[in-house]
Amino acid sequence: MFSSFKPGERGKIVDLSHVSHLVQRRLLDLGITEGSEVCVKCVMPFGGPIMIESCGQCIGIRRKEAVQIEVVKV
Amino acid sequence: MEIALIGNPNTGKTSLFNNLTGSYEYVGNWSGVTVEKKVGIFKKIQGHLIDLPGVYTLNPLSRDEGVVTNFFLHESVNQLLNILDASQLERNLHLTLQLLEFERPVLIGLNMVDVANKRGIQIDAVKLSKSLGVPVVPVIARSGKGCDRLVDAISTKSPEPVNKKLVYYGKEVEAAISALSKEIDGKTEHSHRFLAIQYFEGNEYVKNYFYEIADSEKLNLILVNLESELKKQYASKTLPSFIYLKRKETIVKIMAETAVKSSSVIPLSEKIDRIVTNKFFGIPIFLILMYLMFMLTFDWIGTPLSDALDAILTGPITNLLENVLTAIHASDFIHALIIQGLVAGVGGVLVFVPQIFILFLFISLLEDSGYMARVALVMDRIMESVGLNGKAFIPMIIGFGCNVPGIMAARTIETPRERLLTILLTPLMSCSARLPVYALFVGAFFAGQRALIVLCLYVLGIIVALILAKVFSSTILKSETSLFVIELPPYRLPQFQSLWRSTWDKGKGFIRKAGTFIFAGSVFIWLLSYAGPGGINVDMDRSFLALIGGVIAPVLVPIGFGTWQAAASLITGFLAKESIIATMNIIYFVPNDSSLQGLLANYYSPLAAFSFMVFILLYIPCLATTATIYKETGSKKWTVFSVVYALVIAYVLSLIIYQGGKLFGLV
Repeated sequence: MFSSFKPGERGKIVDLSHVSHLVQRRLLDLGITEGSEVCVKCVMPFGGPIMIESCGQCIGIRRKEAVQIEVVKV
Repeated sequence: MEIALIGNPNTGKTSLFNNLTGSYEYVGNWSGVTVEKKVGIFKKIQGHLIDLPGVYTLNPLSRDEGVVTNFFLHESVNQLLNILDASQLERNLHLTLQLLEFERPVLIGLNMVDVANKRGIQIDAVKLSKSLGVPVVPVIARSGKGCDRLVDAISTKSPEPVNKKLVYYGKEVEAAISALSKEIDGKTEHSHRFLAIQYFEGNEYVKNYFYEIADSEKLNLILVNLESELKKQYASKTLPSFIYLKRKETIVKIMAETAVKSSSVIPLSEKIDRIVTNKFFGIPIFLILMYLMFMLTFDWIGTPLSDALDAILTGPITNLLENVLTAIHASDFIHALIIQGLVAGVGGVLVFVPQIFILFLFISLLEDSGYMARVALVMDRIMESVGLNGKAFIPMIIGFGCNVPGIMAARTIETPRERLLTILLTPLMSCSARLPVYALFVGAFFAGQRALIVLCLYVLGIIVALILAKVFSSTILKSETSLFVIELPPYRLPQFQSLWRSTWDKGKGFIRKAGTFIFAGSVFIWLLSYAGPGGINVDMDRSFLALIGGVIAPVLVPIGFGTWQAAASLITGFLAKESIIATMNIIYFVPNDSSLQGLLANYYSPLAAFSFMVFILLYIPCLATTATIYKETGSKKWTVFSVVYALVIAYVLSLIIYQGGKLFGLV
């Protein structure tokens, strides 16, 4: 789960199907899909968005959507 | 010859456009700078270049992306110039594959090769060209390197037939494509394969297009059959993801042939990000930057420059004009018109040019560096709590320059409800045309804390916008869906030249307006103040202008400035906010040796002055902004609403400030 990730930790996305359709589409547009490797860069306070990095590009997504992404640590 | 520029967001299309056409369009380092198609003429060859908003795919989610799909379906184009970000090649190629399916000649500009190299990515352009079957030209759009070769390729390469089936979508999909092709055969000039695949991907624009030309029930049947077959055969989740994966397979193959990756160093970007998007310092850093901006604009540099300019205008230039007028024996009427009308009105606006340029320089710096997207990220939590998303903050910051491009920038917001809300609230952002009013009043009443008072006003605009967002999103604009996925581009050191150009581009609008709109307005307002029911050259208190202002003035008494002068300048302020200051300069016309600032103290108390500034901040979107709101929302109802709510909120807040202030013994 993303929620247990600390900044700097890397993981691999296993399941995106619980994330809302629109967010899934946008992540796909940005090349992030099941099997992508991601790294948590920073976490905003008060339940704010998190910044993740994948293939050298940084993306901001909301915490509540991030927790629906299933990730395993690598 | 019509050539369209197309590519992912923030890959440098507009930079290249400016380089190739010699025109100057708005560029910045964030996704969604261009929201409308723009046409330019090539510098060196015959033909038009069309700049389109950036898209990840031709299946749109937001309005600016829809502009591109519409362009493809409804307008003709001879050649596509696809710009790829070499450092993000895999993602960029998804769009390229779709473009190739469109079966028009494609030329690829491989941009940001330097960025890719820094990240340890080497791309072989020749091999890439061979695998895709189209010419590939490496360029660096920012510096213009490689642009000549690109122009050569555009003008010399005869359109080659492209390799039609770069992606094989599997026999079921291919069969469905053929079936669909038969249905639309002869009914469209576009590539059947392209339309079919887009339709299968759920492209709404293509669906509507089919609705016009073909039997949509038959087409739908093909789609449904294909979906169920894929489910049976491959247990694939959805048809769009099936298509996506097929494209990806092809891309992986192409990448293996053309790109070499080696390990890279930690980019400076990440180090900066550790600070500016820090858990605790993110928002304070943003506020400090804003404060610095206002200190520079109002205290350190802007005001001294404006004062110097003012001294030149009211001193030597006015004297010179007076001498000329006397020398040519101009009539009293002409003399008064030029000195009291034009010099006071237009000159009164022009003196603020230095401050406005400094403000624009800062906004350009925000856009060019890549910080803009970080602000959106940092602000998202607050924005989410009021029913918006962080991306809505970008139109608002742009709105600090001018509300019109701010409202246009809202196109990048994906959900219609959040977009509408952003459009409605952007006019509350204090645009540069309101700045002269503050500059004048803080100079007269709050000389000690200029920057702080102005920062308060800007922040007040933001806070009111956030509160109203909360109110609107929980009453009239209720909806659950919200989307916030934002690309954070790597930081770039802004180049002096592009910074200056984008500052100038924004600022010249202000100067042009002073020379046209404010010029004409000043003449008109001066005439109204010169003539009255009793004839011409009347005492100003008996002029038409006083008469008109006097009708509204009583309403303004409770909020502290119930004079016809204030009322008259507020009315002209609807036409353009700069005309408030032009009108005031004409009404309170002062001879050379004293200043308008000193005179104002006779008409306003400091409390009334503050109340007046708050009213100016909020009271109404200007004419151009109102027109843009109408164009972007397409609704008379929302346009009227945006005007009415602003008036109400401005009046209520000014009332609270003035009456509340009096209660606490402030004057």
